[in-house]
Amino acid sequence: MVHDLYQETILDHSKRPRNCHPMEDATRKAEGYNPLCGDKLKLFLKMDGDIVSDVSFVGSGCAISTASASLMTESLKGKTRTEALKVMEKFHDLLTTDSPVTQELGKLVVFCGVRDYPARVKCATLAWHTLKSALNGAVEEPVSTE
Amino acid sequence: MIRTVTFEKTTYNELPYKFEAGTPNIAGGIGLGAALDYITHIGLQKIAGYEHDLLVYGTEALMRIPGLRMIGTAREKAAVLSFVIEGIHPHDIGTVLDQQGIAVRTGHHCAQPVMDRFHVPATTRASLAFYNTIGEIDALVAGLHKVKEIFS
Repeated sequence: MVHDLYQETILDHSKRPRNCHPMEDATRKAEGYNPLCGDKLKLFLKMDGDIVSDVSFVGSGCAISTASASLMTESLKGKTRTEALKVMEKFHDLLTTDSPVTQELGKLVVFCGVRDYPARVKCATLAWHTLKSALNGAVEEPVSTE
Repeated sequence: MIRTVTFEKTTYNELPYKFEAGTPNIAGGIGLGAALDYITHIGLQKIAGYEHDLLVYGTEALMRIPGLRMIGTAREKAAVLSFVIEGIHPHDIGTVLDQQGIAVRTGHHCAQPVMDRFHVPATTRASLAFYNTIGEIDALVAGLHKVKEIFS
């Protein structure tokens, strides 16, 4: 049962997060914070016009939030702003609805087990909330999952 | 509590009744009485002694787990076991324990300054009471070994 949540890919990305470093020439940055867990995340985006050409993050959190940030950065490169927001919407549906799991989310479907753990949905969505705020422009205040 | 109500005007009862909203918490009062009877029947000294034994046993058992650090080790403390395990976030520990039927609290326990003091983002906490058993502490230890197995 626990393995439905902590699938191999999630454990792998939580132990060895990809794109986990600051980015000096980022064109957009945003900070995310989950006050319930204390999870913190800084997201760096390099936009080439409307296209996400590079993305990275730094932060501290649980296995689910770290793996989610890592897999998110992998899934975004080369996507347009609209495409990225569309993925976010689909990802959110994957976690919060009973809709059938489609393969169009690619590797991100490993998070489908989270829907059975409502308390952990915020861990999985922190990086995505932060992405949305980065894509929507500069923000002064850290975005919160609350 | 009101005295009279019409569409035109409301007058309240005199103090202290005006601050009492409707039916008082009668069931709560009776429940508290029953709880006090129960505790008194067992005996506070007996409860304190038993919980202390659980604390001593639990502390020793948890300290044998490699990588586990106990948070809060005052000599006089209640039967509360708060700890961190190196490299594993408390929320992940909590979820895996939960799946094994073990209820703990994880997070900053509404005590963020204390978390800063110990340089931890959060802890896992087992709070023992007189209805817990040695066997349940053994189950917690076994559960934590399972946690380590998954996240190692």
